[in-house]
Amino acid sequence: MSTATKSGRKATVTTPGDREIRIERIFDAPRDRVWRAHTDPTLLAQWWGRGNKLVIEKFELERGGHWRFVEHSEQGVHGFEGRFREVTPQERIVQTFEWDGMPGHTVLETLELQDLRDGRTKVVATSLFFTTEERDGMLQSGMEQGLSQSYEALDRLLATMK
Amino acid sequence: MVQYSAHLDRAFAAVSDPIRRGILGRLGHGDASISDLASSFDMTLTGMKKHVRILEEAGLVTTEKVGRVRTCRLGRERLAPEAAWMRSYVEMVEARFNRLERLLERTKGETS
Repeated sequence: MSTATKSGRKATVTTPGDREIRIERIFDAPRDRVWRAHTDPTLLAQWWGRGNKLVIEKFELERGGHWRFVEHSEQGVHGFEGRFREVTPQERIVQTFEWDGMPGHTVLETLELQDLRDGRTKVVATSLFFTTEERDGMLQSGMEQGLSQSYEALDRLLATMK
Repeated sequence: MVQYSAHLDRAFAAVSDPIRRGILGRLGHGDASISDLASSFDMTLTGMKKHVRILEEAGLVTTEKVGRVRTCRLGRERLAPEAAWMRSYVEMVEARFNRLERLLERTKGETS
């Protein structure tokens, strides 16, 4: 494990693994308000876009739901999207994240809100980066086998449909 | 803050183009002149200069002109395209958290 903490910043950034980045920050607000800021589209639009105009095209906050935000900055338009994998109210959101500018580079984001019981909330954002190369590696190993098993099942199904 | 955002926009713009990611990858193997790069990527000199300038403005590449040849090399941090993207991502999350903090301050005491 390597740690790269930059001083002078309010957030703590560490790199627990080669492809993993953990960002921690304490907010001076109760957990309920931090949760709402992350899940109420009207509030989200006010901070997520770095001050640029943010259009929330989709925000289906439930497992499997799709989200898509489009940021309009002076330099251009940036689209971000993904799907929710876990939504545990007040506590945890796990979602995929992709930027239109880097297609195929998926980031798995886990957001955790910890109630510090003194009116403050610790936010831990963990991001796991998947690259095209890693995905290709996965295809060569277990997934290929999984795929051929699926095909065998499909073959059997087709056979019964004759 | 506006400054921060402009810097991020430059970093995003720099890594969003497949040719520019290719240039970073190519420079990872060694320095190259603009004309080397132009021929590697089958582009005009003018087109390549534009890409290199965008990478230079984002701090990912530095260039040096000796005589009539401009040599390009990776910036001080020698970031590969993937690492450049990861860095932009972290800066984006941090900038976002700064804004979240201000929103939470602004809305203090408000009820839903």
